[in-house]
Amino acid sequence: MAEFFSLAQRSLPALLAGTGMALQLTFVCIAIGFIIGVLIALGRVYGTKPIYVLASAYVEFIRGTPLLVQLFAIYYGLPDLGIVLQPVLAAGIAFGINTAAYQAEYFRGAIQSIRAGQMLAARSIGMTKWQAIRLVILPQALRIAIPAWSNELIYMLKYTSLAFVVGVPEIIARANIIASRNFRYFEMYVLASFIYLALVGTFTWLLSILEKQVTIPGLEMKL
Amino acid sequence: MRKLLAVAVLAMAFLGIDGLAAEKYVVGVDAAFPPWTWVERGEYKGFDVEVMTRIAALLGFEIEIRDMPWETIVTALAQGKIDILMSGLSITCERMKVIDYSEPYWSVDQAILVREDSALNAITAMIGGRTVGAQSGTTGYMWLEDNLVAQGIGIKVRAYPTYEEAILDLERGRLDSVLCDTDTAQSYIDAGRRVKIVGIVKTGEQYAYAVTKGDPYRLLPKINAGLVQLYESGEWAELVQKYFPGRPVEKIPLKLSLVCR
Amino acid sequence: MPPLSEMNWDVLLAELPILVGSVVVVAEVLFGVMSFGFFLGLGLATMEVYGGVFSNCAAFIQRFFRAIPPIVLLLLVFYLPFDIPPLLVAILGLGLCSAAYQSQIFRAAIQSVRTGEIVAARALGMTKLQAVLHIVLPQALRRAIGPWTNEFASEIKDTSLIYVVGIPELLRRARYIIAYTRGNALLMYAIVAVIYFILTRFGTSFLYWLEGRLWVPGFERRGQVRASTGAVPR
Repeated sequence: MAEFFSLAQRSLPALLAGTGMALQLTFVCIAIGFIIGVLIALGRVYGTKPIYVLASAYVEFIRGTPLLVQLFAIYYGLPDLGIVLQPVLAAGIAFGINTAAYQAEYFRGAIQSIRAGQMLAARSIGMTKWQAIRLVILPQALRIAIPAWSNELIYMLKYTSLAFVVGVPEIIARANIIASRNFRYFEMYVLASFIYLALVGTFTWLLSILEKQVTIPGLEMKL
Repeated sequence: MRKLLAVAVLAMAFLGIDGLAAEKYVVGVDAAFPPWTWVERGEYKGFDVEVMTRIAALLGFEIEIRDMPWETIVTALAQGKIDILMSGLSITCERMKVIDYSEPYWSVDQAILVREDSALNAITAMIGGRTVGAQSGTTGYMWLEDNLVAQGIGIKVRAYPTYEEAILDLERGRLDSVLCDTDTAQSYIDAGRRVKIVGIVKTGEQYAYAVTKGDPYRLLPKINAGLVQLYESGEWAELVQKYFPGRPVEKIPLKLSLVCR
Repeated sequence: MPPLSEMNWDVLLAELPILVGSVVVVAEVLFGVMSFGFFLGLGLATMEVYGGVFSNCAAFIQRFFRAIPPIVLLLLVFYLPFDIPPLLVAILGLGLCSAAYQSQIFRAAIQSVRTGEIVAARALGMTKLQAVLHIVLPQALRRAIGPWTNEFASEIKDTSLIYVVGIPELLRRARYIIAYTRGNALLMYAIVAVIYFILTRFGTSFLYWLEGRLWVPGFERRGQVRASTGAVPR
């Protein structure tokens, strides 16, 4: 046991550096996914037929294929088309494209839960459709979406653990490098799981605070 | 209840818990390490695969090859999850603490690879600011860490699951150079990859086969005897000629050059 | 490795059956993962709802395995100091993760059955266990098929991780071909993606068909039960 603690102590700096990378990656991909996700959701709710079909196909295809395959395709496959991305950027984009499909589903559900009458009311006081979406629908929809959407944030936090396959020095990559010297892989992965437990715990707590902050008093939720 | 039993029996047959045939040993390989071990149309190929298949035939045991990530392979052997390890495995003092080696059978160094059209040389390929790739858990990776990173030379070392991916990234310009075992480096060049060797780091490594510490199945005497028999029958020279045309044949077994404190 | 010209379609076509052949391995692992996850998940869910003092314990186990990335779980099981065959390592590693998710599904399904039904069953002279086995679970499991299908699809996708424990699945075999044919990376990964897409589509439509077959007329359907968090299934 004492040996385990000394191993933990020695590997902590490297693992924490990896944790920093994992967090950075999580925020990048969630941000990318948020922007694409909102657009896709709007496309599926308000888009014309071709936009609706395109947006739906995107969501279906991304949700039907593994994240790891998408990551390999973007990092090792895209250079066939002349697109060469650095590891962190490639991972951020791959994860972002992936999470966008899921985030879109949260936002779509939230947008559809807002009564159609609100759109009519906004249009009747002279707003354009885009103004109505931006000023009336989205501010409510995003707040409604947050409690369930927080699942996605935690999911991506966990799945940044795949980034090591493209050379991103995150938690697993750091654990591997240390363990390849002393062969104590099991202990290193135990340490890695502690970090993930702590991260997921912290995020769950922070998100529950955020959830309370964004609740709209008196708003009826029909999720 | 009978249904449940049937399901249980089915599940067991499915998972193959019915026990392995006697004298069949699991050989762990990294199937992305030419010319030692690779996969072609679903079959394992390579120098090490041929050598071990012949040794097994000579000394009357069976082998089952299992492809595993290089990261996990030495520890898997140390824990007895596999019985033999082959894939151009270098002898190192760190590994010697957890696994047992056969007699050494090959000498290698580390080659510095750059893109075909690159103007970098052995020195400029590995100075501060460069990004160098190597397969995670290999002696090449460890050399970079110990001799460049630890000395404060500001290079970025990037770990790859296999050398195949590192070479791909070198070709595509995501890496400035790759440090890789000499024969494997040469095999990429022979296969027409757009890379070249600009220098050799004389690490003086030797390859050997390895078994679980303590050699629980008494495999080392067989492997060592098999190596000598292959050498004496001339098959060894044939294999060397087949995989490494023009390379002089060294006398097997080699003398172990590594000294551990 | 013999030198090859790029985009050698003959070689690619010859290699394809080997790639598609790994679907069998994926199916084996999947069968194991879903069954293991089913029994453990159902056990955990029942314990969480009816377990009294053990209820918190079940909830903790479920949260614990949900917080750890599947790849870490796979590696942890792999490095356990026992000689476990790779197939079983994959099944245990992914199965623990799946059990945690399945237990959430079953808990919600069990809780969707009105408590009055147990009271009524007890009034007829059934024991609590009988009531759970014969009254609650047959209804709860039917309602769970919908969300369970989503979990099934997400485990199909997670089988792409099992090469880390030494099972050459689709993705690894695609990488053999990329190495051997020196290139075609994007094409190979696209093929792998399409195979996975077909698998998830085929698998989920089969389960929805099954749900229709098992439906009892007049019985409330899918959509009635969703995991309590309202999460979009991954």
